[in-house]
Amino acid sequence: MKSLRKILLIACLLITGILFIPLKGNSDNKDQCVECHTSAKKLIQITREIAKTKPPAKSAEQEGVG
Amino acid sequence: MEPLAPHEKLFVDTDFIENDENHGEIPCSECHGGDPNDPNWETAHKGLSKDPSYTDPEKTCGECHDHAGENYKNSLHYNLKPYHVLLDKRANPDKKVREKLNSAMDTHCLSCHSSCGQCHISRPNSVEGGLLSGHFFQKKPLMKQTCTACHGSRIGEEYSGSHEGLEPDIHSQKYFMKCEKCHTAEEMHGDGKIYNSRYDVENGPMCLKCHEKIYTDKSKARANHSLHKDKISCYVCHSQSYINCYSCHVGKDKNGISYFKTKPPALNFKIGLNPKKSLKRPENYVTLRHIPIDKKLFDFYVKDGLTQMNAVPTWKLTTPHNIQRITKQNSGCNNCHGNSSIFLLDKDVSSEEKDSNRNVIVPESMIPVKQ
Repeated sequence: MKSLRKILLIACLLITGILFIPLKGNSDNKDQCVECHTSAKKLIQITREIAKTKPPAKSAEQEGVG
Repeated sequence: MEPLAPHEKLFVDTDFIENDENHGEIPCSECHGGDPNDPNWETAHKGLSKDPSYTDPEKTCGECHDHAGENYKNSLHYNLKPYHVLLDKRANPDKKVREKLNSAMDTHCLSCHSSCGQCHISRPNSVEGGLLSGHFFQKKPLMKQTCTACHGSRIGEEYSGSHEGLEPDIHSQKYFMKCEKCHTAEEMHGDGKIYNSRYDVENGPMCLKCHEKIYTDKSKARANHSLHKDKISCYVCHSQSYINCYSCHVGKDKNGISYFKTKPPALNFKIGLNPKKSLKRPENYVTLRHIPIDKKLFDFYVKDGLTQMNAVPTWKLTTPHNIQRITKQNSGCNNCHGNSSIFLLDKDVSSEEKDSNRNVIVPESMIPVKQ
């Protein structure tokens, strides 16, 4: 009986540990933001798409220093 | 400054997510908003804030960095108070004209604010932004990518010695000092008080904080320092020639993109009368710099916008960032005494700007006599 209790106690502790010990980093961050923003390949592809529709950042009429 | 490639601006280093235990564990959407579960990048970015620290740093950075967060809204980098103060003085008092001026100011002048993020995480918007180092937070902002990215055409170039024939600032040349050595975090984050000018900021840089012995026997130049104390600013003796800018016109091109036009700048050195005399700055003579301003600055938006141009000098108190121990001025008494060419005289000021600069122009009678 005593050994059964011990086994149950150890099992409970193990389950609790698995549930509450956080993994390295944060699982919440494993989202679409991270998927794209940590991939240079994906960013190049998307920013090229955006560049086709975006006006230039600087006007050709600009002269001199600010 | 050359902008980063578009993808470089947005690239987040996985090391940041995995190893920055303070910031890397915060889900992106907690600060930036957007929908982290949406695989379509266009809809996922709806409502997203590129720079969550602007306009309300207290709701993001200020949640933990409470001291910096609460004062920052009153700091000059955030509130740009001097721009408002100067416009109030120069602007046409007519309400309708003023509304158009305010709109032009929003487009051209007031977009140059900074935020927590635009110093500690990304380059500022004025150089098209972009993460500094894969979203790693920089405790001390990177000088060339943040500070002189904005303050580059005058301060940055002077400090690094980019002008032919001129030395870099001794603080950079000899000691590799970065901006934050003099411009402390306390100054940058604000002390809670609202200032009308950067020269009024109480915890701003003071030469004497480091050079406290210049008036004592321990200083080789004690006699000269004591003789000129409170009469001339440190910069009159220790700065080299600096950039002066003339004119500025703003507008929008046929595609609706805003632009500015300034005349080519000129290297010059002018000593004038102190326009901001105070207990902190008691000197009679200071260095003056011509600023990029013009009566027709906002003509694209509204005619006669700046009818009160004479209310403020166009030659402004300046603290050039190209300090040297030995300069042309201090290598001989008569390089200043009796040398009218380095003083701002009536003939140096254009006829339409004479009235506005009346109080800073040095009368011939006030040029110190030859020794």
